[in-house]
Amino acid sequence: MTTRIGADVGGTFTDVVLIDDKGAVWTHKVLSSPPNFQQAVLDATGHLLRETNTPGDMVSAVAHGTTVATNAVLEHRGAHTALLTTRGFRDVLELRRIRAPQMYDLFWEKPAPLVERYLRLEVNERMGANGEELEPVDESQVRELAAQLRAENVESVAVCLLHSYAFPQHEKQIGKLLAELLPGVPVSLSHEILPERLEYERTATTVVNAYVRPIMSGYLAELRGGLGAQSIEAPLLIMQSAGGLTPEQDAAVRPVYVLESGPAAGVLAAGFIAGQLGLPNVITLDVGGTTAKASLIEEGRIAYSPEYEVGANLSAGNRLVGGGADRIRAPSIDIAEVGSGGGSIAALDRAGGLRVGPQSAGALPGPACYGRGGVEPTVTDANVVLGYIREGKLANGGVSVDMEAARRAIYDYIAKPLGMDVLTAAEGVHRIANARTMRALRAVSTERGRDPREFVLMGFGGSGPVHAAGLAYELGNRRVIVPPLPGLFSAFGLLVSGVEHHAVRSCLLSGDALNAHALQTIRQELQAQLLTQFQHEGFRADELNLTCAVDVRFLGQASEIRILLDTVMGATAQEWDAAPFTENTIKALYAAFVSEHERLYGHRSDKDNLMQVIAVRVVGRAHSGAGTIDLNTRASSNASGNGNKTRRAYFGARVGVADTPVITRSALSGTMPGPLLIDEYDSTTVVPPQAKAKRDELGNIVIEFA
Amino acid sequence: MSVDLITREIVQHALAAAGDEMAVALYRTAYSTIVRDCLDYSTSLTNAEGEMIAQGVTIPFHLGAVPSAMETLFKKFGDDINPGDVFILNDPFDGGMHIPDIFIVQPIFWEDRRVAFAVSTAHHLDLGGRLPGSSACDNTEIFQDGFRMPWLKLYREGVADEAIFTLLRANVRLPHLTLGDIYAQLAACHIGERAIHDLIRRYGVETFITCANDSIAYTERLLRAEIASWKDGSSSFTDYMDNDGLGGGPVKIHVTITKKGDGLTADFTGSSPQIRGAMNSTLSFTASVVAMCVRAVAQQDIPNTAGMFKPLTIIAPPGTVVNCVMPAASSMRGVTGFRVGDTVFGALSGLLPDRVLAAGEGGNTLVIIGGQRADESRYIFYELMAGTWGARPDRDGNDGLCNPGNVAANIPIEQAETEYPVRVERYGYVPDTGGAGKYRGGLAIEREWRLLHGEAHLAIRSDRREYAPYGLFGGKSGRGTINILKHEDGDEVLPTMISTSIKAGELIYHRLAGGGGFGDPFARATELVARDCKNGKISMDAARREYGVVVNEKTFEVDEAATAHARGNPPGAS
Repeated sequence: MTTRIGADVGGTFTDVVLIDDKGAVWTHKVLSSPPNFQQAVLDATGHLLRETNTPGDMVSAVAHGTTVATNAVLEHRGAHTALLTTRGFRDVLELRRIRAPQMYDLFWEKPAPLVERYLRLEVNERMGANGEELEPVDESQVRELAAQLRAENVESVAVCLLHSYAFPQHEKQIGKLLAELLPGVPVSLSHEILPERLEYERTATTVVNAYVRPIMSGYLAELRGGLGAQSIEAPLLIMQSAGGLTPEQDAAVRPVYVLESGPAAGVLAAGFIAGQLGLPNVITLDVGGTTAKASLIEEGRIAYSPEYEVGANLSAGNRLVGGGADRIRAPSIDIAEVGSGGGSIAALDRAGGLRVGPQSAGALPGPACYGRGGVEPTVTDANVVLGYIREGKLANGGVSVDMEAARRAIYDYIAKPLGMDVLTAAEGVHRIANARTMRALRAVSTERGRDPREFVLMGFGGSGPVHAAGLAYELGNRRVIVPPLPGLFSAFGLLVSGVEHHAVRSCLLSGDALNAHALQTIRQELQAQLLTQFQHEGFRADELNLTCAVDVRFLGQASEIRILLDTVMGATAQEWDAAPFTENTIKALYAAFVSEHERLYGHRSDKDNLMQVIAVRVVGRAHSGAGTIDLNTRASSNASGNGNKTRRAYFGARVGVADTPVITRSALSGTMPGPLLIDEYDSTTVVPPQAKAKRDELGNIVIEFA
Repeated sequence: MSVDLITREIVQHALAAAGDEMAVALYRTAYSTIVRDCLDYSTSLTNAEGEMIAQGVTIPFHLGAVPSAMETLFKKFGDDINPGDVFILNDPFDGGMHIPDIFIVQPIFWEDRRVAFAVSTAHHLDLGGRLPGSSACDNTEIFQDGFRMPWLKLYREGVADEAIFTLLRANVRLPHLTLGDIYAQLAACHIGERAIHDLIRRYGVETFITCANDSIAYTERLLRAEIASWKDGSSSFTDYMDNDGLGGGPVKIHVTITKKGDGLTADFTGSSPQIRGAMNSTLSFTASVVAMCVRAVAQQDIPNTAGMFKPLTIIAPPGTVVNCVMPAASSMRGVTGFRVGDTVFGALSGLLPDRVLAAGEGGNTLVIIGGQRADESRYIFYELMAGTWGARPDRDGNDGLCNPGNVAANIPIEQAETEYPVRVERYGYVPDTGGAGKYRGGLAIEREWRLLHGEAHLAIRSDRREYAPYGLFGGKSGRGTINILKHEDGDEVLPTMISTSIKAGELIYHRLAGGGGFGDPFARATELVARDCKNGKISMDAARREYGVVVNEKTFEVDEAATAHARGNPPGAS
């Protein structure tokens, strides 16, 4: 009963990995099936169950990463959503924090709010900052508002009242009323989504949650039903933005925590490989059909962000300036993303300039060369024309690449109007795609003062291995790693993660009120809350690792530092019960806080200043059961193309077209010079002329520049 | 020496990133609402000669303050600048901007050689003076603005000058906040030093110096190329502040912008003489604003370095409101900066009509409430209320966005109410306040504060009640500001600029100005008018009156026939 399935849905491809009870890895890649994304997942799982002869009820877990929710936000295709606020504050959502994301741009357009003003309604009620009820909820008014929402056919409701992070009674009261008055309409209450102070951040996070909730829950219900039809009754676990899994029931209600689901899994997989190789510093590059994403692993640690902005052009969590998009205060892996993937469409603008993306041909109609109705040229078409991607059947025969269709698209739309030959035009598309992708790579490296020369670039995603070496050369990385199964890497990442839940309590503790008893009381409550949740999901208390952290600042500051309260990471509940906090905990916390403050900012602030704890957080993790996975035991049959030993590929004006050796990954032995093309099931790795490649003992392709 | 392109680009990005890191350290360790929430501060790095090589994404208006501050620093200390020294300044007549802005400057050395300076400038909550918060429009001389520090050494070779700290503690109302923010500024400088040392360790000192200096020349080249691409010409504009802070006025700002070749001159001759109230601007501040405006209409991304100023010539006669002399008060000069910005943009619109926006809200309103809590602890609640944009040549003004002159933020209501005896009772848009136009000006914002305990001083700095934000090319002005004090006896309209007191239970209402419109309102797309009606951003009445659009009040659809009639082109008339 240890067969596990990881399924990653991207804009273009859906990747499924199955690890059987012997640890063997089976894979299947199919085109995504918008708008019914679950269909491709079900087709692929069905295929793998048949191929491995596994009965559905032998599957012990299905881990899933999906971009369904984030796409709904980016494309403004979410539910018809309303927002209820305290009287006087319906514009908090649209005013945001007033900031603009950059200086000196007079034409910057503030993105439209997800809930228009006419659907933001004010409730007569008010709680004070200390929990005093200044004005009770006007229930008869709430009834009128509910009637108005019904008349508007609202599909989802967010409620965010002032001070509900600590005093949620009014939100609960309204939630109860709406459940009666609007049966079937999901209601997201801000204190349940994000019980933290700061009304804009809590409102925005709750609104995004409400906005994607009907889509996400509908999607998950259909997927669950389809898996059931394959006799898979195992838990369906969804990847969260912060890199842990959560059961579908939770993701359906709090989808804002799984918004960055897909990208997170790829970074986790990269972290896993980097750990195996003992590589401390890695820039990850994940190029899929629609976007390219970069993130940083530094000294072995994945970079996390406590909040991010969804839909900002270049989302990079830790940057100074906010205001570019709705602020989601949910932890995530820190990823910079640009709209530049294999499916990105190349076109001429009005001034005759060549542009690539951000529009993507996606899975449908797809790149012209897939012959599924696409006529406009994409980056993938350019890569086919350049000889980087082979003709013929790809991905277990699901897709067939037609060189002639690719040439025709590049010729009609680019080469002919510009009066250039097809190869030059294709190379232009490839290079412009690279220049766009470079923005994401720079955002996580040079723009943060990191020198790319000190980092290894790990390229994955269907198109990552095609572009990685060229980008690394430009960026200045000396080494590139293309891991096994690069095109299914995110699906693999789903299987190295375990279930994870977060619980948080806002507080304001300083001076005498900040004592061991107070912290212990909160930790016990949060611990109990998590244990209930995990037990409900079928985990035993002794399977869990618990970690407690607090958000601390000097009294009077507005920004906090997160400090771990455990000396040992990941205690069990019994260990916690046996070792309650003592006054030494507080002393150690103070010492750790002051030294972290000094490390970060170079000073200890005034020595008389009190420390203040503003939130206590407990994270619970259940083991993934991943154990060791050997990606080289991949068991599926390997479609190795049309058997050519060389392919004509273009490497720019200086080298021109070269008869380039084509090999499989397993045939890569010793050190081989570029140019070289390494074809495999799910991707092609391009080794440029100035580089050389070898295969390490774990099966990774390692490219180095001379 | 010459440096390869990749290294140069990395160093330049790393410097910009260091400026941002300094900025993050500053606001994350600061204590006052004006710095930690409203973000009224800036950070930068200069080369060894004090020329700016990077600025954090903070207040554009502080851009030009660094050169004149560094110039007086060198004049005063010459060679007496040593490792471990830290300098402090807030005197506007010694290179500073106004009393509330404290400069902290730390020289950065590498093996005994001076290679750079880290600079931080923060608006302080209180530096003593006549009223809580120091800033008051009706201050009439600098001595009322507060404690004045010409350039001093706060640290001498690593050792703090306790005398300065002692004097500061004795002269400000809330020493732990003022000193806490000074420590935050020191933290920012420390981060800047660490970043520069990291860069030098990695690339060597010569490479660092070459890259830093190249970035200044590069900026100048970019800006000159930008200016050269404009048509030669000259354009004048006049705008006003309603009054001088003491009820007199209006205060005139006049500029003539002349573009010739790859240079640009801004001549403020004809502007009002220096005024009695506290809105007098230093030349350095006026120059900052001009640079910000030029930078904003430039079409290229230009690094924020000293190279920005080289193509610009600023003429401002001494003794005017845009170049004040002793003993002018200047604590509230921010509003003058915003108006200088509006005036310069107005003039630039004559040269570059498709790149300039109509006037926005006219700058932040400051509301300062100072008193004692129930436990007798003192507080100063310093609120910086921003902002909304004027309409643009091809789109509406942004509703509710900080003025392009300063990257400010609002104070979260839940944070304010947790820390201060103040309750915010309303915060939102006001319909029918954006100037009508083919493109609509941004809506005004209103906010209400109720005092919950005791008595308190209240200072308000606002403007743009009579001289409302202008529209362009047929666009209408935005609606002007208003301040109302609501007490037992009813509502009392307060002047735009006032220092007074309020009691528990009383409520202050402020409405910012709306942005100006752009183009003929009757040319506005009718469905946009209907959308604004549906969203309560304009009324049905205004739709008909200002835009000639008749909207059905139930369906919010455009009544095409009635609209054609209202717009004076009934069917068949063509």
